[in-house]
Amino acid sequence: MTTVTETEAGATVDHETVSAAVASEAPATAAAGERSIVAFCCRECAYAAADASANARTPLPPTVRLVLLPCTGRVSPLHLLSALAEGADGVMVAGCLEGQCHYREGNFNAIDRVKFVQRLLASVGVEPERCRMFTMSAGEPPKFVAAVREMDRVVGALPPLARRAAGEPALAATGGEH
Amino acid sequence: MPLTDRGREILKRLPATHARSSGSIGCEIVRHEDLCIGCGTCPRNCPTGASRRGATFDVHQLLDAPAGSRRGELGAALRRLMRSQPSGPVEVPPRVTVYRTILYDGERCIGCGSCARNCPVEAIEARPPEVPATAPEGEGAEVTS
Repeated sequence: MTTVTETEAGATVDHETVSAAVASEAPATAAAGERSIVAFCCRECAYAAADASANARTPLPPTVRLVLLPCTGRVSPLHLLSALAEGADGVMVAGCLEGQCHYREGNFNAIDRVKFVQRLLASVGVEPERCRMFTMSAGEPPKFVAAVREMDRVVGALPPLARRAAGEPALAATGGEH
Repeated sequence: MPLTDRGREILKRLPATHARSSGSIGCEIVRHEDLCIGCGTCPRNCPTGASRRGATFDVHQLLDAPAGSRRGELGAALRRLMRSQPSGPVEVPPRVTVYRTILYDGERCIGCGSCARNCPVEAIEARPPEVPATAPEGEGAEVTS
């Protein structure tokens, strides 16, 4: 599953595999009060990489929920902040390598929006590391897994994120974003 | 040849002609920053460059925005996460265009009111020049003459 055409052909089938894999492990972690990470993935590269890594049976941290986007340029500051506000402890955006966006500059927009959200978070006293952008190509499943693990490690080391009003933990964040 | 409707509409969009013909120069411009959505229509229509998009964004604009708007939603999410009051305006990366504070320079403003006319959310008010203020002068002139 290294070429783009192959991953695109298999994308619909593998989508269920990935989400089933994530969902089956989710309740246990949510009950234990564990952290959760929402990963916004570009369909062309990061999601294909996630597919490939799931096919290779590489375990992802159970804390991560994948959200499929047509391009990371779709992501807005509102998506990132409301995911955090609704229960995610970390948000990551995974897109194509710089200059390799299928829509030419979607990932550049995403990089800047992520940077903006980081500055917003920093200005109100929240750790900016909770929101991060990663870039990878479709043929790099190990890089995707490494990115998720890195995010999981960084967010795990941070103190829990306090929220004003009581919100649905974890599930509401992914459910709302689909 | 009389202007068509379309022609009149286009003429209305030209800030310079409109400002000159409207006779409304000298309006007092009042900006409501909490209602502003940062669309950039006022800088685009400003004939003198008095209002322009800044390089920073005041986080209080999100927190004060009305509930139904996009900025209001973003502000509500931010308020839930907030640990301290915003420490000041944040630098905005170049590709983020909407979340910018519009800078307004009263010195350069001629009060044409084109920003107020074109504002999609009525965040700018153009108060007409004070007519009553000139009326007493006129009366006074009559009295002396």
